[in-house]
Amino acid sequence: MFRELRFALYAIKKNIASSAELRTSFLMNVIGMTINNTAFILLWIFFVHSVGVIHGWTALDIIGLQGFAALAYGVVLSVAMGISKLPEYVSSGVFDRFLLSPKNVLVRVATSAFSPSAVGDVIFGIACLGIYATFLPVNFEQALLGLMLVIISILVFFSCAVIAFSVSFYFIDAQNVANGIFEIFFTPALFHGGAFQGVTRFVYTFLIPSLLIGTLPVEIVRDTSISQFALIGGLSVLWFVLSVKIFDRAVRKYESANYMTFGG
Amino acid sequence: MKKIRFTRKILTTLLRDKTHYRGRLFVDTASLVARCGILLLLYYYVFSQNGGEINNTAYVFVAWSMLLYFIFMTFGLRNVARSIMQDVQSGTVEILLSRPMSYLWYKMWWQIGSGLYSFIVSFFLGATTLFLIIGLPHTMLTASFFFTFLLTSIGTIFLTLLVYTAVGLLSFWIEEVSPIYWIVDKAVMILGGSYLPIALFPPIMYKIALYSPFGASQFITHTVYESWHYDWPLLISIQLGWIIMMVVVVYLMFSRARAKVSINGG
Repeated sequence: MFRELRFALYAIKKNIASSAELRTSFLMNVIGMTINNTAFILLWIFFVHSVGVIHGWTALDIIGLQGFAALAYGVVLSVAMGISKLPEYVSSGVFDRFLLSPKNVLVRVATSAFSPSAVGDVIFGIACLGIYATFLPVNFEQALLGLMLVIISILVFFSCAVIAFSVSFYFIDAQNVANGIFEIFFTPALFHGGAFQGVTRFVYTFLIPSLLIGTLPVEIVRDTSISQFALIGGLSVLWFVLSVKIFDRAVRKYESANYMTFGG
Repeated sequence: MKKIRFTRKILTTLLRDKTHYRGRLFVDTASLVARCGILLLLYYYVFSQNGGEINNTAYVFVAWSMLLYFIFMTFGLRNVARSIMQDVQSGTVEILLSRPMSYLWYKMWWQIGSGLYSFIVSFFLGATTLFLIIGLPHTMLTASFFFTFLLTSIGTIFLTLLVYTAVGLLSFWIEEVSPIYWIVDKAVMILGGSYLPIALFPPIMYKIALYSPFGASQFITHTVYESWHYDWPLLISIQLGWIIMMVVVVYLMFSRARAKVSINGG
């Protein structure tokens, strides 16, 4: 377990160093992504300005929501970008080299690539959560809850990315299908929290865990709800175990593409 | 004649290809439901809380306007930028430029062909579902609507393609155009009336949407509102103006870009 983690950290460090070499491209990606994310905040602020507060969700809550979502997205897709490249690895046969590695296949695949633009998401996420914490304002208990919820959010995001991209082993046109499934999960996570009531709240909490990324964490921090925290903590562990099982099962479907390459 | 045959060939080949991959169609439709469906639910709640009207606009107009935006999204026309960027980065552009065809027309028709099947299915499924649930606004039942809707749909397709082609062509000068693509994409998303319908725009934002190429590339979302009945000559003129301007910009960019490419034999 610790050896795997040490390997993952080593791979992440190498990936960051290699991306930082192309400094201009790296910076452009980071700044571009930050501006890109600001658009969502603007949109929802205009929305709140036009229609008012819905189900207790204010513009500040939306900033908090975008913070959690961007941070989860940024952390997972920066250090574990390889997950989103699974369709490419499988269709090109590059996946062979991960199977031949003595390390854990999922860790090896996840840490095989790095996205500089996702660093922009991390910065944006931290800034949003900083603004949220300052203007709410949060007490020590809420801050601690928030920190733990960031970890839960990252865990859920990682699990869902693993599940979505594991379909690469089942479909021929896997890239589009995997991206589509990923969007079905992630798009609602960016939506106004007040939109989810009744059936939609149930569906997007238990069947598609989109609300576990940002909506529920914001509500838990705002209301300091320990029972809800325990619920989504349990759900996040469940989704993580499920994602690892799904990935392991999906890998068994893999057939080498027999490309004449070594290393990839 | 040769060009028409070539275009038809691209479209029919891609249509056949896309109908083969049913998984993608399912995902496109589910994605439309996930995005648009939740927004429609949110706005349904918001409108019912405000007595059925916001800014003198009823829910039915907003719902159709947003549906049109999301249906056009399934066309995937914006992917032309990434496609050009990939050609440039991989060097495929050299091969395509040396072929006896127009590279830009090829890319544009390819993009239309790629999304046509998903677009048609999403259009019929989305429109039928919304019609059965909330009905049609009276503005969509006039004779002028069909004519102007068709006209602005064509304008929407070409202006979207031109805007994103210009972004893609930047990859001849800038190594990584993704950040520019994201910014343009979000400008189109905000000013096109996606998550926030144009009826709810603050006045200044509405003006920017009206007179910028980003908003003009999504004038399809304006067609369902009552104001379209009076404004369509102005809006279609603005769209046409932007199309002409973008054709000039894209032509100039492509001429310069082509001069930069040196095709190596071997």
